[in-house]
Amino acid sequence: MLIENLTNRGAIPALVSTAVFTQERHRMIAENIANIGVPGYKTKHLDVRAFQQALGKAMDRRGSDPRQPFVVDGGQARTDGQGRLVVKPSRRPPENILFHDGTNMSVERQMADLAQNAMLHEMTNTLLRDKFEGLRKAIRGRV
Amino acid sequence: MFSTLDISTSALTAQRIHLDTIAGNLANMHATRDADGNPNPYRRRVAMFATGDPSRGPDAPGAHIQSVVEDPSPFHLDHDPGHPDAVTSGPLKGYVRLPNVDLSTEMINAMFAARVYEANITAMEVTKSMAASSLRLLA
Repeated sequence: MLIENLTNRGAIPALVSTAVFTQERHRMIAENIANIGVPGYKTKHLDVRAFQQALGKAMDRRGSDPRQPFVVDGGQARTDGQGRLVVKPSRRPPENILFHDGTNMSVERQMADLAQNAMLHEMTNTLLRDKFEGLRKAIRGRV
Repeated sequence: MFSTLDISTSALTAQRIHLDTIAGNLANMHATRDADGNPNPYRRRVAMFATGDPSRGPDAPGAHIQSVVEDPSPFHLDHDPGHPDAVTSGPLKGYVRLPNVDLSTEMINAMFAARVYEANITAMEVTKSMAASSLRLLA
């Protein structure tokens, strides 16, 4: 209970949600890249900005009480009954008639998203590591 | 995180098969006879891509080659009356039927397959570094 109080406060739940979100988004981008050149494949899409707004709302809703559950409720990402983040990517319709095989793949966009998403994941993990390191120092009682 | 590697692997396998069909097409560009020696030109083979990965389950994400089919387009004709397989009668007299393989199409497809292969390798490298970064949280 004490440990839960310690790890369920401040930015940690938001960081954990972001880590899960970036991991799921990475899986989606890998699937998009795997389907380059597959006729009729519609790229999947997860809206990062909408997730960040939902994350901000979740933090406002919970306030500073660590006993309140941290519930993200956005359009494509929501916390389920077990407290896990579930994401549902949407499919984008073809944007133009250039791709006559019915796809809408932009390899450049996918590779840029891949790099950007990996950086966000790395940043989240670094911040989480710092949080845990701070807790560990407090437990040990010395710096 | 580990199943993400499977998604990229399925695409690598599919692109490998695609490259195999391209290599087979190029190797048989001038084959006017089949494996038994009968005058029967080689038909270009096309790898049919489809989404999903049935080897890992009905709904598994990824890409795969559904089938390899023969290209039904007409054979190339080359006027070469001295060739042993030249047509001996009719309006095509003196022409040799050559496989319907087009060199530039095959080369462009090969370049495309190599690029997609590289893109998937990059995705796998990123997956690996993300997994390593998450594992470092524990240590």
